[in-house]
Amino acid sequence: MYQQKQFFKKTRGGKILKVHREHYLRDDIVCGSLACTTCAHGDSTVLSSEAAQYLLIDTNVALHQMDLLENAAIADVIVPEVVLSEVQARNKAIHGRLRLLVADKSRRFFVFSNEHHKDTFVKTEKGEIVNDRNDRAIRRATTWYQSHLAGKTPDVLLLTNDADNARRARDEGAAAQTVYAYVQSRTDKPELLDFVARTGDTGGEAAGPSAEGDAGPQAKRRMLYAEHKGMAELTAGLQKGLFHQGKLRVNRFNCFEAYVGSQSVGKEILIQGREDLNRAVDGDVVAVELLPPEQWKGPEGGIFREHDEEEEGVAENAEEGAGLAPEIAEDAPGAALENLDIGKEGGRVPTGRVVGIIKRNWRNYAGSLEPMKGPGGSGAMAHPLFVSVDRRVPKIRIQTRQLANLADKRIIVAIDKWDRTSRYPEGHYIKTLGDIGDRATESELLLMENDINTRPFSQAVLNCLPPLPWSVSDADVAKPWRADLRNLRVCSVDPIGCRDIDDALHCTALPNGNFEIGVHIADVTNFVHPETPLDLEAADRGTSVYLVERRIDMLPKPLTEDICSLRADVDRLAFSVIWEMTPSADIVKSHYTKSIIRSSAALSYPEAQARMDDPHMSDPLTEDLRNLNRLAKIMRQRRTERGALTLASPEVKFEIDTETHNPLDVGMYQIREANQMIEEYMLLANVSVAEKILKHFPSCSLLRRHPVPTPQMFEPLLRTAAAVGIELDVGSSKALADSLDRAQGSDPYFNKLIRILATRCMTQAVYFCSGELSPPEYHHYGLASPLYTHFTSPIRRYADVVVHRLLAAALNLTPLPERTRDKKSMHDLSDGLNYRHRNAQMAGRASVELHTLIFFKDRAVDAEARIVKVRSNGFIVFVPKYGIEGPVYLTKKPDKGAGPDPNDDFVVDEEHQTITSKDKRQTYKVLDTVTVHIEVQEPQPHRPKLILTLASDSKEQDGFA
Amino acid sequence: MGEENAVKTPGDILGRVSEYTSGRGTHVRGDHICASIVGQQSISAPAAGASDKAQLPVIEVINGKERSAVPETGSTVTAKVVRIDHRKATADILCVGLRAVTQKFTGIIRQQDVRATEIDKVEIATSFRPGDIVRAEVLSLGDARAYYLSTAKNELGVVFAKSPAGVRMVPVSWEKMQCPKTKVIELRKVAKT
Amino acid sequence: MEYVSPEGLRLDGRRPKEVRQLKCELAVLHRADGSAYLEMGNTKVLATVYGPHEVSQRSQSLHDRALVHCEYSMATFSTGERRRRPKGDRRSVELSLVIRQSMEAAILTHLLPRTQIDIYVQVLQADGGTRAACINAATLALADAGVPMRDLVASCAAGYLNGTPLLDLNYVEDSAGGPDLTVALLPKAEKVTLLQMDSKLPLDTFEAVLGLAMDGCKAIAAHMRQALLEHTRKQAVVRGPVRL
Repeated sequence: MYQQKQFFKKTRGGKILKVHREHYLRDDIVCGSLACTTCAHGDSTVLSSEAAQYLLIDTNVALHQMDLLENAAIADVIVPEVVLSEVQARNKAIHGRLRLLVADKSRRFFVFSNEHHKDTFVKTEKGEIVNDRNDRAIRRATTWYQSHLAGKTPDVLLLTNDADNARRARDEGAAAQTVYAYVQSRTDKPELLDFVARTGDTGGEAAGPSAEGDAGPQAKRRMLYAEHKGMAELTAGLQKGLFHQGKLRVNRFNCFEAYVGSQSVGKEILIQGREDLNRAVDGDVVAVELLPPEQWKGPEGGIFREHDEEEEGVAENAEEGAGLAPEIAEDAPGAALENLDIGKEGGRVPTGRVVGIIKRNWRNYAGSLEPMKGPGGSGAMAHPLFVSVDRRVPKIRIQTRQLANLADKRIIVAIDKWDRTSRYPEGHYIKTLGDIGDRATESELLLMENDINTRPFSQAVLNCLPPLPWSVSDADVAKPWRADLRNLRVCSVDPIGCRDIDDALHCTALPNGNFEIGVHIADVTNFVHPETPLDLEAADRGTSVYLVERRIDMLPKPLTEDICSLRADVDRLAFSVIWEMTPSADIVKSHYTKSIIRSSAALSYPEAQARMDDPHMSDPLTEDLRNLNRLAKIMRQRRTERGALTLASPEVKFEIDTETHNPLDVGMYQIREANQMIEEYMLLANVSVAEKILKHFPSCSLLRRHPVPTPQMFEPLLRTAAAVGIELDVGSSKALADSLDRAQGSDPYFNKLIRILATRCMTQAVYFCSGELSPPEYHHYGLASPLYTHFTSPIRRYADVVVHRLLAAALNLTPLPERTRDKKSMHDLSDGLNYRHRNAQMAGRASVELHTLIFFKDRAVDAEARIVKVRSNGFIVFVPKYGIEGPVYLTKKPDKGAGPDPNDDFVVDEEHQTITSKDKRQTYKVLDTVTVHIEVQEPQPHRPKLILTLASDSKEQDGFA
Repeated sequence: MGEENAVKTPGDILGRVSEYTSGRGTHVRGDHICASIVGQQSISAPAAGASDKAQLPVIEVINGKERSAVPETGSTVTAKVVRIDHRKATADILCVGLRAVTQKFTGIIRQQDVRATEIDKVEIATSFRPGDIVRAEVLSLGDARAYYLSTAKNELGVVFAKSPAGVRMVPVSWEKMQCPKTKVIELRKVAKT
Repeated sequence: MEYVSPEGLRLDGRRPKEVRQLKCELAVLHRADGSAYLEMGNTKVLATVYGPHEVSQRSQSLHDRALVHCEYSMATFSTGERRRRPKGDRRSVELSLVIRQSMEAAILTHLLPRTQIDIYVQVLQADGGTRAACINAATLALADAGVPMRDLVASCAAGYLNGTPLLDLNYVEDSAGGPDLTVALLPKAEKVTLLQMDSKLPLDTFEAVLGLAMDGCKAIAAHMRQALLEHTRKQAVVRGPVRL
């Protein structure tokens, strides 16, 4: 019962190794069925004796039909060991899911160790390939089960989509069926059919129509796309330099335009058009062949409008609606496009086409079905198109029997395959989230799309919390390294309604005329210890996510709102940075310590501002605030002189109805002096701590940098400014800051508008590990600081927790955890934090957009807007009051099939950034003020869109979408 | 019978110290006698004429394998004289008892060990010559270089010698040997057969 | 990577407490005083014993006991890739020392003063557990040579992967990076002559793994004993009854 397995393996170095493994055959392997009388029954005996039949699955069924298998209606399944190990080798995610199914006793999935059972072991015959041998093993297992359970009720049915395998099985006496046939036979659960994934080997049984209409035999369908080249050809081509490899990034605002970042070409390769994209999906790693230079294109200049193509029976009406105004470069539409100056080189960039897919990165997509005329009766098969909320993903065709149910719901769909003959990829439905437009569903959707973990904290995490109710204990006070600062007059200033108070300040006048100023940050690392479940969960979440109506915490509520929060009138633990400052805000000395504080007041920004402004108030706390404010202003002035940028963001704030949670009013966020004061001290604390930790840990400090924007990124700003006669110097941050100050225009809002546009050119600030980059690269452009980190908000940001640990180690209070010393894990951590930060930002924006839509749903409003960009068929406006930005179309939407109306043409002047009507009656220039009409329209049922039109002209131009 | 001759492996317990004496191929551990080698167990009667302590039967493990012989104190060896000088004769031990040795052992016959009487008047040259085969007894393990042999018994001494003519000499007396061809007498310390 | 499947089977189909297939043959080389060939799964080891004989370097001879000398080497073809191993490289010196110490504890050296016993162990094919296989092979070779020993030295390796103690790791399981514990035991006396471990283990797990390894040693010792008995019986048939 001893076998030897021999096979050849290729090592990384290219050598061929002969691998020799032992393979023992056993006689103590059970069959797992309760109906069996010969095998010993134990813990693993799960197959019920009542089942109609046992299903035995083969590898392809396991790999492709996982969603079907996960459906509760499928139970009593035998998974042969050979299938399980093949799935593990091919797809780890599916393997994980299969393992979960096996572990769940109620599903009655049994893993049969056929490879080690002496009766079912199959030895590879001479010349037999691995797949054939595995198929033979699976068939052998089926026949064994049949003979083993002969006479007992349950039959064994082999589920396979491979027709050849099924035929051979039947020849050997086993019962075999395709998945589709089996699901059809399950008349008790007709909805199972929806879950069947379409794969290449459905063999025409699951006749899914392509966009061409009725299902004709495969051969008749046209090949719409070029063939993908095989892996061998691709590798050869890559090595020779014929092809280039890179990740596909689809333009968010034009899903038929994409970029492949390629190191071999040096620039990004543009892929334009459906055919050239050749069935590649955003995120896939693709191989690209460059087109000859004369075919190189420029990116499309217009606002994207999806053209009606030969779609049957579906009304395409996908125009852009308005959305939240972008803040930085990555948010702005066609960001990548802007970088490639249209003016230069005739707007040509290296263009190519996809010749092969190296790695698919499909995931589950959330969205909803495109409305279509349903088939006759309910329960009949329909093939609707699924539109994902992520605009970069193509539409997906699925088949379902419950079209009526799913029509106005948000659903999740996965892609199965994309044939050459099919215009759209084919996929299958996974589950429903809820109704479209329903705030809870939409919130859940945007959280899902941004990979935000909203699950409640597990018990393991909650067990890490100290027992409640918690208060500062004598042991804490007794610690010699914890300074007792409860005698200081500490206060905190935060937004209204804030309950997680990270930071507090104090200001004491010293006898020598200087001030002692302290910033006290919640001592979160006292409760969150490295490598505990709490710590790992927080590291994974990375940051708290702020949606309009709720907050998804990084740490459990007891910590964020009570134990760590520096609430008023209670003793709390803190990490303090204390400076001695002269009246002209020069720092004489600074020191860091852990401390205990007692905040005397938790003020809100309006409150603090009111107190400072009120001449009648002169209590000590208000005096402290005024001192702080005065010093803060000096520091701010100094920063500006050094070149810090004062940028503006179009942040809006919602007033939410407490009952319905619907937005009552929305307005621009008010920045007061108090806000700026707190900001100054937080910046100062962050910079000081950054210096301290870098001194002690030059190679593993977690810092934050802001890369300098490239000249190309400033192009749109410069063009816009030039068009209105403003000269901006973008040589350095100081130069930019000065020229922004000088930029004054016709109205008071002008300067703010220019600043907002300048902000759009900025890159995203990122976390990094100090050991990875050289000191000049640590620079933070926006703050004009050589060094920066995040220290002041450990309750809502994990980076601050890490910096707290670094600072504590620098002060020799606690040793630095292993993970923080390891460069690779710091690199991974900072990548993870950057990812989470970005996602949290995008989720926040999406939430604001959602609430904006809800707000305008029953209101149509006219508001003042400024033109920020001029396009070939209209312009883009920004509405300051609501912080939204969107397109206003000037030309009529072309009718189906017809070209643009020549009379309707508008002429664009690139240099002056104006658009003029053909009859020269109307001219619009960038930064002009116009009045727009904002309303929500539903061109398709349950597909609300925020539409902007020119209010002054809305009488003249009717019939506009 | 079968039990008595059962094959034992090292570490197997053979009996108690109180019941048996440990013999060849066994050792004592605690109050048990254990086998040391692989072989057949054999129990024999206690040695005759031994003190009352050794009245217990001897249990041994016997290995039929031909092990290379090693000279032990008191054993009779057959050696070939290699070298002589005034004070000693150096000889290569060829056999231990009846068994040939598989490797070279060197023995030294000191002047005082040649014979039992008048030991200080012994001349090595008149006792041995290089090339003689002698039968000797191992006195002790000697030093690092050689065993100490002794021929100080009547039956020990030269058993084979060649004359200058190349012919085997015949013993005449306890100190003379004669070549049958040339009738020359040579002086040796001859073993009494 | 899963080394123990949830069904309780390891990569090669054994259960966690099962030793690989063991094959031994004695007296494979006639010129040597004692020799043995041992296979533990795919690990194949050849051991030869020369002695007891006179010490080759007089200066090193011990006046009251035998000198045990051991040399361990791996054939160039023993691993997947042919690799030339220099004679005095660190690993083989360490293993030679380890085997020597282990065997010395069992040999009754005081019975053989001023002699030398040479043990040569050659690994022909390595698939995990070479240390243990070498010690086992050396024991058999010594028993075959008739060198008096206190007890057979049996050796076995054990590890801890996927939360389960595993007995007799093969190469794949060994390279998993988990702890690897080798134990050499005098089974009847329950005395340990070698205990080596790499990596780290918490103390209570260590006890479990050690207990498992010792059980493995006992099982291997029983098998070796059986092989010795078989061999002696066959020899007795060939040679005839024993002569004194």
